[in-house]
Amino acid sequence: MSRSSNIPAATLSFRIILWLLAFVTITPFLLLLLTSIKSKADVLKGAFALPAYPHFENYVDAWSAGHFNIYFWNSIIVVIPVVAASVFLGLLTGFAFAYLSFPLRRTLFGILTIGMMVPAEAFIIPLYYEMRYLGLINTYAAVIVPQIAMSIPFSTIFLASAMQQLPDEILEAAVLDGAGRFYILRKIVIPLMVPAMSTLALFLFIWTWNEFLIPFILVNDDAYRTLPLGMLFFQGRYTVNTPVLTAGAVIVIAPLILTYLVFQRRFIAGLTAGATK
Amino acid sequence: MKRSPLDGSEHTSWIYLLPGLLLYAAFVFGPIVAALGLSLTSWDGLTVPKWVGLGNYVDLFSDDRFYIALRNNAELMIFYCVLPLVLGIALAACVWNLKQREQLALRTFLFLPYIMPTAVLGIIWAWLYNPAFGPFNQFLRAVGLGAFALPWLGDFDFVLPAVGIVATWYFFGFCMVIFLTGIQRIDPSLFDAAKVDGASARKTFFWITLPLLMPEIRVVLLLTVIASIKSFDLIFTMTRGGPANATLVPNIYMYQLGFELNRFGAAAAIAIVGALLTFAINYAIHRLVGSQNKG
Repeated sequence: MSRSSNIPAATLSFRIILWLLAFVTITPFLLLLLTSIKSKADVLKGAFALPAYPHFENYVDAWSAGHFNIYFWNSIIVVIPVVAASVFLGLLTGFAFAYLSFPLRRTLFGILTIGMMVPAEAFIIPLYYEMRYLGLINTYAAVIVPQIAMSIPFSTIFLASAMQQLPDEILEAAVLDGAGRFYILRKIVIPLMVPAMSTLALFLFIWTWNEFLIPFILVNDDAYRTLPLGMLFFQGRYTVNTPVLTAGAVIVIAPLILTYLVFQRRFIAGLTAGATK
Repeated sequence: MKRSPLDGSEHTSWIYLLPGLLLYAAFVFGPIVAALGLSLTSWDGLTVPKWVGLGNYVDLFSDDRFYIALRNNAELMIFYCVLPLVLGIALAACVWNLKQREQLALRTFLFLPYIMPTAVLGIIWAWLYNPAFGPFNQFLRAVGLGAFALPWLGDFDFVLPAVGIVATWYFFGFCMVIFLTGIQRIDPSLFDAAKVDGASARKTFFWITLPLLMPEIRVVLLLTVIASIKSFDLIFTMTRGGPANATLVPNIYMYQLGFELNRFGAAAAIAIVGALLTFAINYAIHRLVGSQNKG
């Protein structure tokens, strides 16, 4: 096959198909955005018809009447401590698994990997009763604490493998200078871990923002619901009001899209590095 | 492991380990062990749990609904694993030849669904599929395919593919990105050599690209198979397992048994079977799908 002569034509048709596919892939999001600025009357004219003028009041409705202000705030209140505590604890346990020896090392590592494979669905019932026993159902702690615990295996393994790639010489020099372990962790390891820590924080942010099961089971008071949960219960109340429903969906996904567009390279580099290890 | 220069007293090592491990033990590993124990009891959530041994498991494997759930899950794997894998490889092989900027732009769009919360995607797609005012059927009617404008999520035969397509849409861009880095990892001189030898594009793909992508294929299979076994959010928000068990999967069944019928022992048994299935498939993929670099 004389490939060289075929390339321009072949790639052009390929490219058209690829761009069509890309367009179809994001069409649900475009429709969401379009519908979120329509009036109820506009919606009746057809899903693809443009509104006469944009109805931003749908966002106001979703924000205040639809309680998205509460849900959004709750998501922020949950995400910040989960990400911060998971990175912090991941640094400590990762440091131990990367550099220190202790009894049952392999066993403990195995137990951690079990937690990475078993989905939350498998232990949600005991967790629910544990939270009830502790009196934490319908509190922020019910959503925050288990999610920190669930992210410890990934944070530990992710940061431990990044730490193992640091050259030994740096640490040896510090030890020779008489620096203690904690000093070395704080002053030498952590500054060098900033890129790995920010990739980890990015993953944890997206996972926590998107988490459904934990708040779904452990919280049933509207005052503590995070955005994905709020969306579900909001749908129950507003099924007929499509514009406000779609405005709510945009409020949930807009922070994700912004984060993704800003940190795309870091996110995909971290993802593929982790995936092929 | 080689000894690190920092290694020393084992006692102080625990200072670093304990905070994370204790939290993990209290809220993840403990509950996993408790679920295992719970699955051997009969418990309504109020009275004292009654020991039933393997009774819940015996009941489960003579329960028609559980088999329906397993069969639906197996069918969903076509949409969770097979289609994204095939589409992902094909797309990566096409996109790879394009210029850097165009590659980046396509990747940005195709990858977008993967960062979204699946629960919210379920709600969005339930609206898209709505038989009365959903955009999907409006589109079909507009292009003259009105005969196919079905009540997708209410149709016993079409609901599973309708939900499955959403999973395919969610995963295929992710698969493409993984394969794209895989192709970039391959030594370009291999492609040059194939060209010199006069190999066609198809032959190059099947004899060079595909075999060298085995590590990526394994990763993609692992992640998507596990995702399909634990599928809950998407199906719960779209159909709740209906109509008439047509999209019932083990985790939905577990939710119904546990949180709707208060049969927590039986629900825990499903959770444990799911976890064991995950381990088994994980092991099988590690053993069966060969890879050059062992990982």
